Amino acid sequence: MAASSTSTVFSIFQNMEYGPAATSGCTTAQAWLEHHSRSLGLFIDGKFVRPADRGTRSLTDCKGGGVCSLVCAGEDDVSQCASSAVTGQRAWSGMTCYNRAKVLLRLVSVLGQHAQCVSELCELCEASCSSSTLVRLLQYYSSWAQLRDTLIPSWTPLGVVAVVVSDDCSLYSLMLRVLPALAMGNAVIVVPGQSSAPPALLLAQLFAGAGLPAGALNVLTGSDTLLGAKVAQNPSISYVTYSGNKQDGVMLCKATAGMGVPVSVFPGVGATCPFIIFESADIDSAVDGVIEAAFKKKKEVHWVLCVQESVLDGVVARLRLRMAGRKCVALPSEADRVLVEAAVQEAQQQGAKLVQSCAVPPSGDLYPPTVLCGAAPSSPFVVNPSPGPLLPLMTFRSNTEAVTLGNHSPHGLAASIWTEDLTLALETAKSLSVGSVWVNSHSVSDPCLPVSGHKDSGTCTDGGQEGLYQFLCPPCSSSPLPRSTPLSMDYTKFGTAASPKIIPDDSDAASAPKSYLQFVGGKACKSESGCSVAVQPPGDGGVLAYCPDGGRKDVRNAVEAAIKVQPGWMKRSPSARAQSLYSLAKALESKRRDVAASISLHAALSAGGAEKEADLSIARLSDWAAYCDKVQGATLPMPQSGSALSIPEALGVVGIVLPDENPLLSLVTLLGAAIATGNAVIMVPSQKYPLAALAFIQVLQAADLPAGLVNVISGSRDQLTVALANHSVIKAVWYWGSAEGCQFLQFTCTSPLKTLQLVCQEVEGDAGRDWSQSHPSLLEDMWRNAVQWKSVWIPTALDPTSPALSPLPV
Amino acid sequence: MSARNPGMKLDLEWISKVRVNTQAVLKRAQQIQGHKLLKKQWQAAWLLKAVTCIDLTTLAGDDTPSNVHRLCLKAIQPIRYDLLRKMDMHDKGVTTAAVCVYPSRVADAVASLKAANSSLPVASVATGFPAGQTPLETRLQEVRMAVADGAAEIDIVINRTLALTGQWEAMYDEIRQFREACGDAHMKSILAIGELGTFTNVYKASMVAMMAGSDFIKTSTGKESVNATYPVAIVMVRAIRDYFLCTGHKVGFKPAGGIRTAQESLVWFSLIKEELGNDWLCPHLFRLGASSLLADIERQIYHHVSGQYAAYHELPMA
Repeated sequence: MAASSTSTVFSIFQNMEYGPAATSGCTTAQAWLEHHSRSLGLFIDGKFVRPADRGTRSLTDCKGGGVCSLVCAGEDDVSQCASSAVTGQRAWSGMTCYNRAKVLLRLVSVLGQHAQCVSELCELCEASCSSSTLVRLLQYYSSWAQLRDTLIPSWTPLGVVAVVVSDDCSLYSLMLRVLPALAMGNAVIVVPGQSSAPPALLLAQLFAGAGLPAGALNVLTGSDTLLGAKVAQNPSISYVTYSGNKQDGVMLCKATAGMGVPVSVFPGVGATCPFIIFESADIDSAVDGVIEAAFKKKKEVHWVLCVQESVLDGVVARLRLRMAGRKCVALPSEADRVLVEAAVQEAQQQGAKLVQSCAVPPSGDLYPPTVLCGAAPSSPFVVNPSPGPLLPLMTFRSNTEAVTLGNHSPHGLAASIWTEDLTLALETAKSLSVGSVWVNSHSVSDPCLPVSGHKDSGTCTDGGQEGLYQFLCPPCSSSPLPRSTPLSMDYTKFGTAASPKIIPDDSDAASAPKSYLQFVGGKACKSESGCSVAVQPPGDGGVLAYCPDGGRKDVRNAVEAAIKVQPGWMKRSPSARAQSLYSLAKALESKRRDVAASISLHAALSAGGAEKEADLSIARLSDWAAYCDKVQGATLPMPQSGSALSIPEALGVVGIVLPDENPLLSLVTLLGAAIATGNAVIMVPSQKYPLAALAFIQVLQAADLPAGLVNVISGSRDQLTVALANHSVIKAVWYWGSAEGCQFLQFTCTSPLKTLQLVCQEVEGDAGRDWSQSHPSLLEDMWRNAVQWKSVWIPTALDPTSPALSPLPV
Repeated sequence: MSARNPGMKLDLEWISKVRVNTQAVLKRAQQIQGHKLLKKQWQAAWLLKAVTCIDLTTLAGDDTPSNVHRLCLKAIQPIRYDLLRKMDMHDKGVTTAAVCVYPSRVADAVASLKAANSSLPVASVATGFPAGQTPLETRLQEVRMAVADGAAEIDIVINRTLALTGQWEAMYDEIRQFREACGDAHMKSILAIGELGTFTNVYKASMVAMMAGSDFIKTSTGKESVNATYPVAIVMVRAIRDYFLCTGHKVGFKPAGGIRTAQESLVWFSLIKEELGNDWLCPHLFRLGASSLLADIERQIYHHVSGQYAAYHELPMA
């Protein structure tokens, strides 16, 4: 059947074969590689360097042929690179916005000259990124570079940013982080994966040619992702962003814990995504979409096909017809063949029916596209998807069940939904807890669409205006984490120290300190253990009050209560949320005296100071109430015709370990940010000054908030931090505390991933944050941390009124 | 010859469920157009296949016996003999699929072909071509007369008034009557997609035409402002596939109007191959309605054989 060059016209006339695929020699890319003697160096300070005596890593193409070798960077290279980046960043951020934009645009024309070389190199390395995609990225971010100071005034670049990706991450994902970081005026150190390394090096070289200052973009290659941790350790690095598979991401988090550098993780590779076909869909187009999405040679995500039961037969019949005769797909390696076969066999044993495009070749690294019909969420091949062109198919009964099925997964990356019913499309898009929803399309990416992983699929947002803020810091903010070397600590022992016992003494009843209660599920109550701890005045051995000694069980109860009310709270109209927050401000106003008294009692503030803090707090709550209907998404300027939306959504349940500073004001500021955007919170009062938060409970009781939305649990900070870290429902932890605590959270909150905001309060001589400041961008920074973004893409035809009249596309 | 499509009872429930997502169809069309180009003998073979699927057409007010005669003889020998010989295709019966004329010219065409000892079928447009805005009785009579004159294939036009106003039952009945009037002649139903408004309507009209027993469904008359486009074709061949899945009958597809270059004909073939499979890549199930296309294909063949680009006058005219 194979078409060979000896086929006669008549034989082709009869069998109508396509003929052999055109083989491109990739001659330009090969010539570039030859120019570098097939061994690429590191790109530091605007040029290639090849330090002697380093290990190398060789890169092969899909047929096993050698492409080139890469240098494994050593410690010296990292520090040399970091200091060059610092200098580069100074030069780069010193340029005007206009000039920075110009450099990005100049790269577009440089790319135009070398498009052949870039696309051939991408093809050779299987980094799959067309040069038109790169041009789109550059044009999009050059306009952001141009308008940074106009549209995001007074925010400043972070400094040097490390962009780390795993071996299986695409060049597009890499550049989706590098370019915004550069556009905002940062210097970037790229730690590419195996496949993205050669194109990244080439692009760095072209960037230098386009006028990017030396050092502003560096590329360090290494043997694995742990090079990222080595780079992160360098004190000049302000931020690390990672994209790729989950394992490497977790490894990077654990390796960088305690270094005092924020790390955000986007494990987009290997996530499971639902592909939902409703009965109201254009089934033929949906089936075309499935086949295109699910059987790619380079599989970035695992699709699960969910089909409405009423159209199952039609879908399967069309799949059978459309898949017939499709060629086998090359597996990542021959070893994967065993995994694929085991998965298929297991599926068949559980009664799954196969739809296969052709017979399975007896051996080798080729496998035909295969649909496993009759899958269930509990099927092993759904829970642990195997590599290769396998697609599980399950059925659902109703629209709500489709959402339930789609959401019942640890992943929250993306979903593709197919229906001609607009209402259903929008309702489903809103209800799915994923970062990207593609309606009647799939795998659409564009830099204007924010990409954000919900649940275990990420802790940051990339793309769009929303994705720029991770590379910027708001005015008058101090660095939250001091750079340090990780402490050697036993993570299993953290937070296990027993609280000091309270023994009865003979003080008389009249002067006995007050006993406070904590607040769980809308009720003031004691801790589950029934124990209390003593609250001591600063620097004194006496006892001011007793507060409950909360623990794991209390956190569990609070989360149960919180997750019950949070979805309803999030779905309330913004103005209804605003009214609730106003009622909270009002309640504080009426209890102002009591609350102020408890602050001054404890923090040794003058009564005047305490009242002032209470007043500021009332104003701050009103600010947040007003923000409720101002936090909003946008319609996005996609290059294709259609409607693209970005929607801010609540994270879910947020754990807050409160700061010592301004105990009341900081509490309402953080609480307000969280609930104004639709979250529920579990607050742990500052261990040093818990009374403000405990006194605030009476305000919460008086306000019109749903029971369980706000919970306050007092006790040992470390013990409660561990409890927050170990509850999978909690999506974010905002932590003010010790260096050990920060390190513990960074190390622990990886499965599932939690969004962390960490502040180490123990820094000597650092005044910390000025909570009384109400600069608008400080509040903006805060609400941006309290939401996760969702993008919805609904493509439409260019001229929907007369589609049949649309001219032949060229 | 494959079995004819007997048609089926009109299934309005099926018709009502039809959904077409326009942008997804446009995207698919772009994808198909982006397919790699065929080279060398593959290109030549596919182009020859295209020749065998052409309904070589003349539909003009000034058609007379003499230009119809020229057309018929070109249809019998569409590619210069020496060129075919170089590819060893001279004895493989490469002719066009049919000649296609107005009803009044059917007799001329039949006579010319008979004189040349050819069994090439003559196709005739009918039923008030191109607008279909004449009384049903005269449209039926037109079909009967063309058949009586010797037309083996009838290209009828559907009643767009009925399609646009959703009177599918009435449209079904009309087409049923045409089919009866055709007798043994194969019936191709022209949907005039440029006048149907939406892809959903195109799909529905295709379905009704097939249910009523069309042997082919055809995109357009060539007289509307929009003719055969790839997106519309995707919608129509999906309907063909759907009909095949449900009834087991294979209905043919004929794009017509505006197909002028060899390159376009190759895209048409890969569209059919991708969407319907190799079974449909033959004159029994696929036709290209065209007049000037043949000349371009012959030039491409000339180039394949000789390596030179031909001037139009080097190849015999139609």
